[in-house]
Amino acid sequence: MRGDSRQLLLTLLPGVGVITVFLVLPSIYLVGMAFLSTGPYGLPTGPVSLQAFRELAGFGFLGWSPGNLYTLLRSIGQTLLATILVILIAYPAAYYITTRPVPWRPVLLLAVVVPSWTNQVIRSVGWMNIFAPGTPVSDLAAALGLIAPEMGLFPSRFAVIVGLVYNFLPFMILPLYAAFERLDTAQVEAARDLYATPWAVFRHAVLPQTLPGLMAGTVLVAIPAFGMYVVTELLGGGRSLMVGNFVARQFTQAGNWPLGAAGALIMIVVTLIGLKVLRDLGRRLGGDREVVL
Amino acid sequence: MSARAGHMALRGFWYLLLLFLYAPLAVVVFYSFNSINSSARFAGFSLKWYRQLFGNEAILDAMANTVVLAVGSTAIAVVIGGALGYGLYRYRLRRWGWLIWLIYLPVIMPDIIFGIAEMTFFVAINDWLGLLAPGLSTMLIAHVTFQVPFVALLVNARLLALDPQLFEACEDLYARPWQRARFFLIPVLMPAIASSLLLALTLSIDDFVISFFTAGPDSTTLPIFIWSAIKKGVTPEINAVATLLIVAVFLMAAVSLMARRPAGKNR
Repeated sequence: MRGDSRQLLLTLLPGVGVITVFLVLPSIYLVGMAFLSTGPYGLPTGPVSLQAFRELAGFGFLGWSPGNLYTLLRSIGQTLLATILVILIAYPAAYYITTRPVPWRPVLLLAVVVPSWTNQVIRSVGWMNIFAPGTPVSDLAAALGLIAPEMGLFPSRFAVIVGLVYNFLPFMILPLYAAFERLDTAQVEAARDLYATPWAVFRHAVLPQTLPGLMAGTVLVAIPAFGMYVVTELLGGGRSLMVGNFVARQFTQAGNWPLGAAGALIMIVVTLIGLKVLRDLGRRLGGDREVVL
Repeated sequence: MSARAGHMALRGFWYLLLLFLYAPLAVVVFYSFNSINSSARFAGFSLKWYRQLFGNEAILDAMANTVVLAVGSTAIAVVIGGALGYGLYRYRLRRWGWLIWLIYLPVIMPDIIFGIAEMTFFVAINDWLGLLAPGLSTMLIAHVTFQVPFVALLVNARLLALDPQLFEACEDLYARPWQRARFFLIPVLMPAIASSLLLALTLSIDDFVISFFTAGPDSTTLPIFIWSAIKKGVTPEINAVATLLIVAVFLMAAVSLMARRPAGKNR
C-alpha cells in the first residue's frame, strides 16, 4: 500500500502541480487584482476597493457612459450570430459526410479539421488577403453596392463574423457528425412515411437524436467565440471589438490592470451563465434528458 | 424537390464549404509567390519573399524559437500528461471529481484570460523572486500547462477502452512495475501517445494568444512575428512566413493520416 501511494503521487503530482501552480494560482491572483486600486503605470496597489468595477460599469470622471456595456452586449450578439451561422452550415455538412462511403469519412473529416490546425493569426491573414480593398471579392461587393467603392470588406463587423464562423466551424461539424453517425434512420423513414413535412421530420426525428452533438458543438463554439481576441483585433474595426479585446487593452495599451482583471472576472461569470443557459436549453429541448456536460 | 436534386444540392454545398475552408489558406500561399507586395493583383511569379525571408535574422530567430518551444513543451507535456492520464485511470476508484474539473480548467478557460493570468503571475514572481523573466522559459511553462490536459485525456480514454482484466493478468504474472510499463503499458498506449504527441505539437504551433502574453523581447515566435508585422504595417514577407507554417501543419496532417491507417487495420 505504501508503494502504491508513492506511485500515485508520482503519476498525479507533476500534472496536477503544473496546472495548480501555473493556472489556478495565477487565476486567483488575477481575480484578487480586480479588487485592488490602480497605482502608477496602471499596476495594482492597495487598498482594497471596488473602483475597478465602478469604472467597468461605466462610471468615470465625466459621469456615466455606456461604452463598456455596449462592448459586452456586442460580444454576446456577435457570439450568438456566429454560433447560429455555424449551426446552419454544420448540419448539412455533417449530414453530407455520413452519406459518403465509410472509408472516405475520416478523410472528409480531416479535410474539415486541417484548416483549424493552422495558426489563428494566419487564418486571419488569409481573410485579410481576401477582403482587402481592391481584391476581387471586395470589388464584387462594391459593384453590388454593398460597400463604397475603394473600401475593402475589412476591417468590418462582416469580416469579424466570417472570421468567427471560419474559426469554429469544425468544432460543430465534428460532434454533429458523431451524432449523425449513430442516427437511427428508421425514425426518419417512419416520419417520412407518415407524410411529415421536411421541417417536421427534422424537428421530431433528426433534432432529438442529434441534440447531444448540437449542444456539445454549441458549447465548443460559443465559449471560445465569446473570448475571441485575434479575429476581432485583426479583422474588426473599433466598432466590432469584444470583451477579450477590452480586457487585453487594459494590460497592454491603456494600462489599468485592476480594470482589466475586473473585465476578465465578468467574462468568466458571463461564460458560466452561458453554460448554465445552454444546459437548461438542452434539457428543455431534450425532454428532461441531460444532454450537456 | 426530388431526392436526387436534393443530393446534388448537398454535394454542391459541400464543395462550396471546402472552398470556404481552403480559400484563405490558398490565397496566402498564392500571394507568397507574387512579385509585388500586394494581395489584390498578381504581377508575376517570384521567389523573392522567400529569399528575403531566409536572409532575415529576425525571422530565422522566430523560426528557431517556434520549433524549440513546440518540441520542448511537447516532450515535457507528453511525459507529465501521460503520467497524469495513467494515474487518473489507475486510481479512478477514489472518485476525485474535483480533479477532473482541475484538468478541464485549461481546456475551457478563454485563451485571453489564460494568457493574461499567466503574464501577471510571472511579472509578480519576477518582481518578488527575480525568477521567470518573460521569455522562452515562461512560454514553455504556459504551453506545457495547456498541453497537459489534452495528453492526459487522450491517454486516459485509451486506458478506459482496454479490458481491465489485462491489468489483473500483469499482476497474476508478477510483473514488476518497470516490466508492466515496458511490456504492457507503453506498447498498448503507443497509439494514444503518438496522437497526443501530434496534438500537443499542433496546439503549440497553433497558439498565439497565450504565447503573445507570456513572451519576452527575445522570444518572438513566427505567429508573434506575423502579428507585430501586421500591427506595424510592414507586411512584405508575411505571406511567405505564413506559407511555411501552413506547410508544416499539412505535413503533420499527412503524418496523422498515415499513422491512423495501420492502427485501423489492426483493430
